[in-house]
Amino acid sequence: MTRFIIRRMGGLLFVMLGVSLLTFFLAQMVPVDPAATALGANAREEQIAAYRAQIGLDKPATVQYVIYMGRLLRGDLGQSIRTRRPVIDDLGDYLPATIELSLAAMLVAVLVGIPLGVIASLHRNSWSDALARMFALVGGSMPVFYIGLLALGIFWRQLRWLPGPGRLDSAISAPPHISGLYTLDAALAGNWSLLTNAVGHLILPALVLGYFSAAVLLRMTRSAMLEVLGQDFVRTAKAKGLRDRVVVGRHVFKNALPPVLTTVGMTFGSLLSGAVLTETIFSWPGLGRYATTSVTTLDYPAVMGVTLVAAIVYPLVNTLVDIGYSLIDPRVRVS
Amino acid sequence: MATPQTATPLRLFTRRFRKETTAVIGLVIIVVFVILAVLAGLISPYPPLEQNIPASLQPPSVAYLFGADKLGRDIFSRILHGARISLFTGLSVVVMASSVGTLVGAIAGYLGGWWDEAIMRLTDIFFAFPSLILAMAIAGALGPSLQNALIAVAVVSWPIYARLMRGQVLVLRDQEFVQAARAIGMSNLRILLRHILPNTLSPLLVQASFDMGGTILAVSGLSFIGFGAQPPTPEWGVMISEGRNYITTQWWLTFFPAFAMLLVVTGFNLVGDGLRDILDPRLNK
Amino acid sequence: MRPGMSTWRHGSAIALLTTMLLAILAACGKPAAPATPKAAPTTAAATTAPTVPAATQAATTAPTAAATTAPTAAATTAPTAAPTAAPLPEVSRADTLIYAKDLGDLITLDPAVAYEFSGILPVGQIYETLVSFNPGKGSKVVPVLAESWDIKKDGEQWALTFKLNPAATFASGKPVTADDVVYSLNRAITINKSPAFLLIDVCKLTKEGISTPTAGSVVLKIPNTVSPQVCLSVLTFSVAAVVEKATLEANLGSDQGESWLNDHSAGSGPYTLARWERSVSVTMDANPSYWGTAPAIKRVILQNTPELANLQAAIETGDADIVDGLSGDQAKALEGNPDVSLVKGLDTQLAYVGMNATKAPLDKADVREAIRYAINYDDIITLLGGNAETVQEILPIGFLGHTGTKPFKQDIAKAKALLTKAGVAADTEITFVVATGTGLGIEWATLAAKLKNDIEKIGLKVTIQQIQGSELLKLYRAQDTQMMLYGWGPDFPDPDANATPFSNYEAKSLAWRNSWNDPKAIQMSKDAAVELDPAKREKLYKTLIDYVQHNGPFALLYQPTQIVAVRSNIKGFIFDPLDTPKESFWLMSKSK
Repeated sequence: MTRFIIRRMGGLLFVMLGVSLLTFFLAQMVPVDPAATALGANAREEQIAAYRAQIGLDKPATVQYVIYMGRLLRGDLGQSIRTRRPVIDDLGDYLPATIELSLAAMLVAVLVGIPLGVIASLHRNSWSDALARMFALVGGSMPVFYIGLLALGIFWRQLRWLPGPGRLDSAISAPPHISGLYTLDAALAGNWSLLTNAVGHLILPALVLGYFSAAVLLRMTRSAMLEVLGQDFVRTAKAKGLRDRVVVGRHVFKNALPPVLTTVGMTFGSLLSGAVLTETIFSWPGLGRYATTSVTTLDYPAVMGVTLVAAIVYPLVNTLVDIGYSLIDPRVRVS
Repeated sequence: MATPQTATPLRLFTRRFRKETTAVIGLVIIVVFVILAVLAGLISPYPPLEQNIPASLQPPSVAYLFGADKLGRDIFSRILHGARISLFTGLSVVVMASSVGTLVGAIAGYLGGWWDEAIMRLTDIFFAFPSLILAMAIAGALGPSLQNALIAVAVVSWPIYARLMRGQVLVLRDQEFVQAARAIGMSNLRILLRHILPNTLSPLLVQASFDMGGTILAVSGLSFIGFGAQPPTPEWGVMISEGRNYITTQWWLTFFPAFAMLLVVTGFNLVGDGLRDILDPRLNK
Repeated sequence: MRPGMSTWRHGSAIALLTTMLLAILAACGKPAAPATPKAAPTTAAATTAPTVPAATQAATTAPTAAATTAPTAAATTAPTAAPTAAPLPEVSRADTLIYAKDLGDLITLDPAVAYEFSGILPVGQIYETLVSFNPGKGSKVVPVLAESWDIKKDGEQWALTFKLNPAATFASGKPVTADDVVYSLNRAITINKSPAFLLIDVCKLTKEGISTPTAGSVVLKIPNTVSPQVCLSVLTFSVAAVVEKATLEANLGSDQGESWLNDHSAGSGPYTLARWERSVSVTMDANPSYWGTAPAIKRVILQNTPELANLQAAIETGDADIVDGLSGDQAKALEGNPDVSLVKGLDTQLAYVGMNATKAPLDKADVREAIRYAINYDDIITLLGGNAETVQEILPIGFLGHTGTKPFKQDIAKAKALLTKAGVAADTEITFVVATGTGLGIEWATLAAKLKNDIEKIGLKVTIQQIQGSELLKLYRAQDTQMMLYGWGPDFPDPDANATPFSNYEAKSLAWRNSWNDPKAIQMSKDAAVELDPAKREKLYKTLIDYVQHNGPFALLYQPTQIVAVRSNIKGFIFDPLDTPKESFWLMSKSK
């Protein structure tokens, strides 16, 4: 067991190292002098040279990478050129918003995708199956930025059923910072009006962002269910006279679940990608928007920080899923 | 043992494909869009960049089938020309990513050992990044343009092909016909090209089909936030971005490009679905 | 046995995963949490090391030292994170004014550094200047922190003496002293960021020229080549705002307090800074000990709303009380809405195309002239829904010296002939850099596409490159754009506020950014600036306008009507394009 965890963690470490190398390489590619950008247009040559020396830009790339790694290990991601703050502080502000949105979207995906997938598989080739497949198809083919714009236009502006962009109404101030997830923090503070407000603001972006993942989960659940339904033991169970519902509940769904749960873990990465567009439209102050503005302004210390963190979250979640599994079901370790 | 011949399976494949109604629908959609894209220059009523300020924001009519945008440009004509761009982006990214990916994956699978380990860890690293964030960072570093967006998306898309190919090669490597070829002294490269590659095409085709749709969405997403095609290019993502301020008042500015995108991507996804159903015998009953 | 495991086990796997995620989250949240106690050591460090700021001030190379040390030092101190940790006191929606606009250009709230519209607006509510304009009452300078002033000739210099109002206090309750005024002006000059040129180049103010003969007065000495009236106008701009020396000195950090002022305030204005939540909002609370009339609205929130469609929706739903930056189309849609009144005011800003005079083919005056003849100016006004006036000169409507001449009209044949004369090959490429988002009444990209269309008609090839506004300014200030599209607003209501930037290369402003170094234009702008006789001055500006019109690196397009939508329960809204800030929240009130 321990060896398995160590091996997985070792693999994770290796990926992290590669990720840091890749982000570093990316930053080297940028055709802009970070020192000149940081000091502004009025900087003199000697100022720029001094700053270059100070942040180590005058050294060869390999030395720079070593310095960069050294700072990274101390948790120092450098300073953002645009916001003039430590990148780690910026990320501390923006990351919780994205995690909250991603978790909510994941909830939507699980609550919509899995049940629909089960229903579709049980009524294969019926109208409900066709409808569910249609739903999945549109979800996988629709530009997320269009649905986002449309949803805001309809549900906020026209119908006024749901609140507009942002994480809270403008006049409401954020709950005391515990986790940075407004819904959780509001609940912990026992502030119900704040909680409802935060949840209200989450609904639209979570639905929009979760739609794509719901489609993926639906497909996965459906095919996993169909596969199990075709296996011998189901037929045996049926032959033994178990009623369909019990068969489904006790045998099929249970056995179809592992690949579905793995997919849930893997969808997390695509949620982070989707967040880039969703956050832009919903003025959601998260990692995606921070990444977008940082790339637009060629603020590469910030870009390196974001990509690094984003690239850590995904394999970390997957490793945790795997380890969590292996703790419960030792057979997983074999594969 | 010889390589499985191609004539009979192809006919078999065609017969099966025809039975997949949805896949046929998907194929029809794609073919229609390809025809529209090829003939865009002939059938568009207006040049895609021609401005006509007096027609600004005109709703759909006989003169402007899908309406006109703020600058009085014909949305229908722009969509036709946009189809060219979208199909081109999908195709070029998939070609770039799949050729690099299959080559690298084949090397990993066939040579095995140290090569395999190194290449697979490299794909791990690429898989770690959320694709759009990495693509955005690359596109930003290269400078915003359609071409750079394509390169960026290709860079994040190749690892999946590498993994697929490697898996296939690992299975095929030990099969009799490959070993026979090796026994008669064929070079590694020849074995790869002549015997292994043709047998791995079907899963790659499924992946490529899904990727066409995914790429079109990704590139237009990049364009939407300003890292892809630049205005006034009639790229669909750019058109949606330009029309975003009018989404509730002049819906036609965004609806038609979004719908076109939905159709094309659906087409590729349907074909991908159909191909997978045919090629994955477990689900094929 | 059957494969698989019981459902509760899956449940526990998910639970485990969730717990781990929350643990990561808690770890991520940590950097922000201990920030509050960290603020204390920062203060201590600053106070125990008074020699550092003193030394920096004395040295002439101060800005270098400050700038180079800033990034690393700021990384170690984290006072910026502090405000996010502490929740703001509750203020009811009825006492809150929500003002929505695109805050994409907001980069600083330090009055010595702020130069962007989104920065000047809050800074103008939090800090006060010696003198100001009366909002909505024209360009007469009125007292604020200075209760009176006089202007005397002193040899080769002008001496401007300001007598401070003894009643004026900072939000801390301490009086505003002459020492604070000197400190603030010196600080702006030392930091020497974007707006400092107003003091340094326009007023020709130096640190040596600032003195306090008595505790209640400040004397500014400027050379007699500068118009004292122009300088007085400059002093209404936020760069001349007064900060509380004692508070700031205690929080200097390593960047002269620049980053501290982004999250705290040290002013005497009717509002104080409560919180700047980056890329979300700026919250200002009424200054409880304000020395003037207490503002009726307890809290003002500037809400960042980058999507134009959301801006319109925000005012329709009442989510916002005031929205700024609507397009003409949106204004049309809002007409007849009983809950919303539209305030339209001819802005003083000008939209223009900047053509870098050293980057071929724009280095030839004929090519620039050809582009001016390629543009269809009437179409642009149509695009703006009529909410603009065509202006083709460097002075806006309403300014002394504005001539109203419009020599350019789309004339493709003439433009082509000019290109041929200049010997420019067909399809010569020009890169046209444009900001993202909405500019002066229309999305920049749309206007750019229109201009590209027109300019390509004469046989040039235009490639549009869209980048974020702040990045565009960075390129522009580094003289790195070939052709660009942007707006310019005068910083004070005097023709010199436009004439110098547009024509004087030495001022390092627009002429410089477009690499247009024309000695004749420089001299003309200098002469006109110091001419005291209004009639003569007007004449000088007329010749300057004509000269820049045909030789300069600009194609001026239009002067927009700014459309601000205000909910009908907001009273006392005044939009004064001449003033900084253009809107005064302390004069507004809100009824049910």
